[in-house]
Amino acid sequence: KFRLAYPLLLCAHRMFTSQTEGELRVTQVLKEKFPRATAIKVTDISGGCGAMYEIKIESEEFKEKKTVQQHQMVNQALKEEIKGMHGLRIFTSVPKC
Amino acid sequence: MSASLGRAAAALLRWGRGASGGVLPGAGVRAASSGAGGGGQAEQLDAMVKKDKVVVFLKGTPEQPQCGFSNAVVQILRLHGVRDYAAYNVLDDPELRQGIKDYSNWPTIPQVFLNGEFVGGCDILLQMHQNGDLVEELKKLGIRSALLDEKTDQDSK
Repeated sequence: KFRLAYPLLLCAHRMFTSQTEGELRVTQVLKEKFPRATAIKVTDISGGCGAMYEIKIESEEFKEKKTVQQHQMVNQALKEEIKGMHGLRIFTSVPKC
Repeated sequence: MSASLGRAAAALLRWGRGASGGVLPGAGVRAASSGAGGGGQAEQLDAMVKKDKVVVFLKGTPEQPQCGFSNAVVQILRLHGVRDYAAYNVLDDPELRQGIKDYSNWPTIPQVFLNGEFVGGCDILLQMHQNGDLVEELKKLGIRSALLDEKTDQDSK
């Protein structure tokens, strides 16, 4: 029964810890490559293993671009980091005026 | 119970490490053909994505997806009643798996192509499903989404 509770404990633990090294690194790269971004949030969704990230980024640099193009911009920016990941989820948005 | 969770977790980790799926293709699934390599493969992929209106590259098959994101694509297409689409299992062919990533300049699987054009991965398809764009795009291809018929039933009640 403990084995079932363990993932819940881990989840609770992750809620109260600061960012992982991986999250910080990915956030830093995004800040550099998207200087006009108004919001960047990177979350390790692989339980801290650095295997999968969820990336939320809001920037006027995405204005008038199709979603797939916006995602391509993020892919390009994180080209090196992605090599070490199993997967990523990207959510882009344009700031509301 | 925990043993099957462990196995499921191991399977999830494995899909990122190039484990071969070994899944038999089901009805409506085209078998992935290995490319000649180099320039020849790009042309081959080009032909593959243009041959059918809806083309998806998955980990696993529509009958047995081997990844949660690939499964999401399969389920969304099922919701819209899209039954006749080409699905290529990248786990069957490492050259295809890398080749399609190079071809569309997109680092992950699944990949969805509509009318020969790269649309995106599972997140984008989900977004299109939620905001109604997918119904529109299918209509452009002459495919009537099953969800349109569902809606009319609800309205008439």
